Amino acid sequence: MADKIPLSLTINGTTHTLAVPPERTLLDVLREDLRATGTRRGCDQGSCGACMVLVDGEPVFSCLSLALPLRDRAITTIEGVEQGNALHPVQQALVQHGAVQCGFCMSGIVITAKALLDRNPHPTVEEVRQALGSNVCRCSGYAKVVEAIASVGGRP
Amino acid sequence: MRYAEPQTVEEGVALLASTEHARCLAGGASLVAMMHAGHAAPAMLVSLHRIQELSAITETPEGLWVGAMVRHRTVAADTRLRGAMRVVRSAAEQLAHPAIRNMATVGGSVGLADPNTEIPVALVAASAQVEVAGPSGRRLVPVESLFVDRFQTSLGRDELITRIFIPRGPEGAVGHHLRFSRVSGDYPTVSISLVLAMEGATCRQARVAVGCCGPVPLHVAAADQRLVGTPLGEQDIAEAGQLLARAASPVDDVRGSAEYRRLLIPRLLGRAVSLAREPAHG
Ligand SMILES: Cc1cc2nc3c(=O)[nH]c(=O)nc-3n(C[C@H](O)[C@H](O)[C@H](O)COP(=O)(O)OP(=O)(O)OC[C@H]3O[C@@H](n4cnc5c(N)ncnc54)[C@H](O)[C@@H]3O)c2cc1C
Ligand code: FES
Ligand code: FES
Repeated sequence: MADKIPLSLTINGTTHTLAVPPERTLLDVLREDLRATGTRRGCDQGSCGACMVLVDGEPVFSCLSLALPLRDRAITTIEGVEQGNALHPVQQALVQHGAVQCGFCMSGIVITAKALLDRNPHPTVEEVRQALGSNVCRCSGYAKVVEAIASVGGRP
Repeated sequence: MRYAEPQTVEEGVALLASTEHARCLAGGASLVAMMHAGHAAPAMLVSLHRIQELSAITETPEGLWVGAMVRHRTVAADTRLRGAMRVVRSAAEQLAHPAIRNMATVGGSVGLADPNTEIPVALVAASAQVEVAGPSGRRLVPVESLFVDRFQTSLGRDELITRIFIPRGPEGAVGHHLRFSRVSGDYPTVSISLVLAMEGATCRQARVAVGCCGPVPLHVAAADQRLVGTPLGEQDIAEAGQLLARAASPVDDVRGSAEYRRLLIPRLLGRAVSLAREPAHG
């Protein structure tokens, strides 16, 4: 059993002080240590995108990110996406377009879409598709998801 | 497992030398996935993210030095990678999707030596050199001699990649990377990187490398030579493609059979040549 190393992580603006073994991923820390279960575990291989979070505003797989190197970085999870008590425009659009089925993939998709819209406020449908290349929806209802995200930027 | 965050290359090398089964950790995209799958169990991780020099990109009259910890996303956006050097930028742009490009590094791609990935292929086409640091200092290695087998490099266990030199190439040269994958964002079935220099309508220099068709990026000098001195006509490309296809040793897997991969080589070569020669390119 490896020794634990002290660590502080800034997640959704709050700093958490922990001690973790080196092999612990950010996904483990979120789900098991902090009980923040909005970030999902699908494949643990970078293949499904359910575990997507933002690090300094850019999407990364939390299942492939060890926690220790993330000291000093700003981490945003699905729990940090709501604005006040209001849904983020991406979340609203997904609801309005009826683009959610079982919802397992949705945390990751919302995070990926937020990163895209923050960088490129008016993406084309093709750009939305490219960005969502990292996210698998096992219910496979991509058409409405893509429509919903593109509608936020005003390009139906 | 132990974990270290050295601040300098020399400290990093000393740590690697001090422990059997130590491994560098760059973006972690492949290494952490391999650890989850039980394919890697390092005794120590030497995280490279605090070694500042590894994140530098430096331009010289001869070309560009790209630090090992530079992420694919940064390479994809660097407009200094023009002309022949464009082949590397083009590969980085098309690699997987934003989440991977944002985590994974150039040094990680080279260190991984996966024959199904794009950066090694592009670096071979670009005639890149890899700077390697070890206990007795630094050495410069042609990238082709770094890849020795599937997932295997010629690096010593106490060596790490510090930066990669991408030469400017011949005057007027152009570079392009083309990947074919059945599902966008997946690893390619076959990929082709090439650098061409034309003189009027005649090809003066050509360097072609093929991915996913053997244990290391496939480069066949005779195929390059078949293109040189020609107008890159259909016949020239078909014959160069045949030379590559005959030298290829692809495997059958979910992304395509070996036979299918061989058939793709000449077709993709033709397409890569015309894309590289598009006037707006660059
Ligand atoms: C889901 C997924 C999809 C992918 N799709 C593609 C794709 O379509 N095309 C493609 O080309 N690639 C693809 N990749 C592979 C990707 O390119 C590699 O994962 C990545 O480049 C590795 O970089 P890294 O910084 O994450 O390296 P790590 O995972 O941190 O390291 C990889 C290996 O290199 C070694 N290493 C790292 N840095 C150094 C160094 N400086 N010196 C010596 N050794 C070093 C490590 O010890 C390890 O053995 C994909 C990966 C994943 C997980
Ligand atoms: S759980 Fe991370 S990509 Fe699937
Ligand atoms: S809505 Fe069920 S996995 Fe996407």
